[in-house]
Amino acid sequence: MAPLDELLGEIWPRVRRRHIYPELPAPTCGKGCDRVGLDIKGKRISISTEFVTELSRHLDPAVIVEGLLDHAVSHYLYCPWDFSTHLKLYAESKKVLRDKSMAQIATDHFMDVVADTHCVSQKDTPLPRVYRHLHRGRIEEAVHALYQKIWGVDLGVEGHEEISRRLSRLPYLDRSRWKESMGRFARVMQALLQEEEGSGNLNKSSPVMGSHKPQQYSAQEIERGLKQLALDVSTPTEFKEIVNDFKEEIAEATAEVAGLGMGLGAGRSVDADILYYMKLAENYALPIRKRPMKKSGSLYPDHHAPWEVGKPFQDIDPWTSFGKIMPGITQTWERMEGEILGKDEGIPDCIVMIDSSGSMTNPKAQLSHAVLGAACACDAYLRNDAQVAVYNFSNAFAGARWLQPYSRNRREVYRTLCHYFGGGTRLMMEHMATFQTDAVPDIFLISDMQITNLEIVVRYFNECKNRVTAVHIGNNKHVDDFRGSVALRKNVGVYAVERKEDIPRIVLGKVREYLYRN
Amino acid sequence: MKNPFVDFCAVPCKRREIPLQRIVQARRETMDRMVQGYLQLMDQEVKDLVWLVEQSRVVRAYNTACQSIRDLQYDQDDIEEFCTELHSGHKISYGVSGPSGIFLSALVNQSQEEQVVLRLAEYDRKLHFLGYRLPEGKTLVLQGDAGNFLGVDLSGGRLVAEGSTGNWCGAGMMKGQIMVAQNAGEKTGEWMRDGEIRVDGRIQSLGKNLLGGRIYQRGKLVYPEKPAAEGWEGTDGAAG
Repeated sequence: MAPLDELLGEIWPRVRRRHIYPELPAPTCGKGCDRVGLDIKGKRISISTEFVTELSRHLDPAVIVEGLLDHAVSHYLYCPWDFSTHLKLYAESKKVLRDKSMAQIATDHFMDVVADTHCVSQKDTPLPRVYRHLHRGRIEEAVHALYQKIWGVDLGVEGHEEISRRLSRLPYLDRSRWKESMGRFARVMQALLQEEEGSGNLNKSSPVMGSHKPQQYSAQEIERGLKQLALDVSTPTEFKEIVNDFKEEIAEATAEVAGLGMGLGAGRSVDADILYYMKLAENYALPIRKRPMKKSGSLYPDHHAPWEVGKPFQDIDPWTSFGKIMPGITQTWERMEGEILGKDEGIPDCIVMIDSSGSMTNPKAQLSHAVLGAACACDAYLRNDAQVAVYNFSNAFAGARWLQPYSRNRREVYRTLCHYFGGGTRLMMEHMATFQTDAVPDIFLISDMQITNLEIVVRYFNECKNRVTAVHIGNNKHVDDFRGSVALRKNVGVYAVERKEDIPRIVLGKVREYLYRN
Repeated sequence: MKNPFVDFCAVPCKRREIPLQRIVQARRETMDRMVQGYLQLMDQEVKDLVWLVEQSRVVRAYNTACQSIRDLQYDQDDIEEFCTELHSGHKISYGVSGPSGIFLSALVNQSQEEQVVLRLAEYDRKLHFLGYRLPEGKTLVLQGDAGNFLGVDLSGGRLVAEGSTGNWCGAGMMKGQIMVAQNAGEKTGEWMRDGEIRVDGRIQSLGKNLLGGRIYQRGKLVYPEKPAAEGWEGTDGAAG
């Protein structure tokens, strides 16, 4: 048998060509076990030498390697394609099986069936030959019986008629129905999985070709997947349940890229509640109005234009004119009147005031529009290189308050936002004063306005010079009072949020008249 | 000029026909016929957007449903798929609980299998009239809660509800057995002629006109103890 490295070097170009050159790095040989064929980490396929050696007693090693590569590439190109699809399928499987290990095994097998069936139907692959000689547990027997039925080949499997009949009717190649098919696949496999669990063989039921883990995706893909999952689930609890199942793997997969904004890193656990609002907020990029700029009155070189005879020489740019004075070739600078930034340039920092009293939704149990709105605001300011201070309050007089000083640490900011006090609502504006700076930060308030000392809040907003974005959740008498009281103020923008869809309508720092306009 | 795609010319791109496509196509055709039959029933029954429960309408709806699925080959999986379709709203844009339950009952009664399991717990909407005219030799297992009129006119079948049921459970049943694992609503067993209803939880109230049969609550016989009366001419409003 030729060394596996040589074999890979020979076969990989052929497989790449067959799959129309997927963007995958060259596969490697790895040390695995004789039971599992391959592993994928960060998109790099690693073929198990032991597995190939073991199977080569029945089959030409070149055929084994080619089959394994076809299988891995099909996963990359077709199913699951990305981490988001993987999570969606897992969520559906978990909904039916209600057990992490069983759901993972069912999802792995489903993705294998889809990827391999796609490969067999579209490409000239040796996959069926490889499957014919694989060692099988009971679950694999059932899945291979399914392959026999839907591929029309003989893999030497007997029995499992009922399961394979029921599984064979699922539209595996219809991507739009994968979610529904996953649920039905899991339901059919449930009894078998439970039997395997009962006999203690469940941990041996993972697919022979290798199981699927978050480590096989890039950190960016994991970020995107979590972002999509936050949008798809209906409650934070659902998100938490799925993320907690992959907690260690996600933390490991993202350990090297702690700075990517995941709020994770080596040795740091995944706080699913915080992650949920963090990822959900990333789906709503709220706009921030920049502070107005003023004309400087002086001219500065803005862009190049061809020089023409009669135009002054002093504006010629010798560096782009090839050292020649010739109309059409020589470039001259066109000057424009410059705009300079005022004394409070760019996007200011922001003080986020969030009401977490008893009348507000508990963000850990249900989707809290207040936390989501505040998270979106924080995300917008942080993305614009500003800092955020958070004042989370319920009955601040009784000590139910959390003051997070100005920070750019997302994890700290979101942790403060997600804290829930319950109880009454009373604000201490003295706390706000501690956040005020000479740079005049923006203020973002989100509450249902059922604040006992609302008149003090209104007075504060009427007197301050900050741009205030006030968001009220729902409508009530207090909201009407608040709206009426700040109606004449030109530095206060008021928005209502009743549904998730209302959040993108918020424009941060949008005021009717800027206070420092020259 | 060199063809930039020349390297791909030799890449085989011919699709192989595999049995999966044939199987899925056959299932899709069955499902399309079921959906078509259901939509026909809807067109017939809910022209006024309100479906009132009258015995003649129930019988007519059931006959229409049976007619539309005549000669159709299907199994438990097709029924399950139809239930998913009914609740997902992809192909069926509207549904009314009464006629939907009657259509499902027709599917169950005409299926080849002796036992059919419906996983109702997965769906938000409660369906009425499940187990309508369930014939002898058939068992229908409902996993989850059922709506009103469960097992109406039961004709000898065995109906197992693993959750609770609404009002008029077993109304007009002729023979067979209804077992409810949790609670039953009002007028349970109204105009019942024969057979048995067993409720493991609480029965909100029994029907006023019971003509025969036996009703058990938490294993204890609660009927016959009341005087029987006659006649079932129709019921008031369970609009869908």
